Amino acid sequence: MDKDLNTSSKRKLNCSDESKCFELLESILDGEESSGSKEVLDEKLAKCQPCFEHYHLEKVIREVLKSKCTKHMVPAELKDSIRQKIQEIK
Amino acid sequence: MSEVQRKKYSDKEKNSIFDHEFLPHIDSMYNFAFRLTFDEDDAKDLVQDTYLKAYRFINSFEKGTNAKAWLFRILKNSFINEYRKKSKQPSKVDYQEVETYYNSDNVDYNMTSDLRVDAVKDMLGDEISNALNSLAVDFRTVIILCDLEGFTYEEMAKILDIPIGTVRSRLHRARNLLKDKLRSYAENMGYDTEED
Repeated sequence: MDKDLNTSSKRKLNCSDESKCFELLESILDGEESSGSKEVLDEKLAKCQPCFEHYHLEKVIREVLKSKCTKHMVPAELKDSIRQKIQEIK
Repeated sequence: MSEVQRKKYSDKEKNSIFDHEFLPHIDSMYNFAFRLTFDEDDAKDLVQDTYLKAYRFINSFEKGTNAKAWLFRILKNSFINEYRKKSKQPSKVDYQEVETYYNSDNVDYNMTSDLRVDAVKDMLGDEISNALNSLAVDFRTVIILCDLEGFTYEEMAKILDIPIGTVRSRLHRARNLLKDKLRSYAENMGYDTEED
């Protein structure tokens, strides 16, 4: 379990505006929010348990997608085949 | 693809753009094509067709602009127009599920998730990959573009020809569907997914 959860007693257990908060958290994770998002994020994670949990779950899902859905090896002959086809249409 | 041609590139310029701005994206293009078609030969054909089209329409590409997004858009359109019908992989789309999601404009951000961070971390690459592959193509696509390829919402909107608001809501829905899949894997792994 995430060690930060030990401090969960300080956070409120219900979020008064989950829809808006979760949307904002997801935008921040996707790099779409910049102005003042760090402060907003820190405050939400410190004070709100549902936001804290949602943020960390969304974050780890993005991380495993990026690290585990590895790229398929491009077949070696594909580049040559494309170059050859282009010579033909030139 | 824009019909307006700003200017004509010389053959030398064409080759330079093709080699330095287009070809470096071939790994990402192939990965995208494979995750759309689930078939090596189809993925190769799709990537090849995309590059041939890119060369043919190279005059409508403005040098130095976002080549990756431009190529992904061509690939996505080629897939829809030519490959979707003949794809060897039977469609796994649960139509009802897709329709229900698409018909509501308001995204429900309240959906509580009892999936645990630790359970996700312990999952194998195959489970993550299978969960992604099991999503309907439109949902799979936004996750690939955003999380695997790092496109911004604005770039995704251009690639997919949809408004940014739709990108945002489709992504959210896609991630909820992915979480459902991961949750069922977690249950099979013996993780307790109930709330404390």
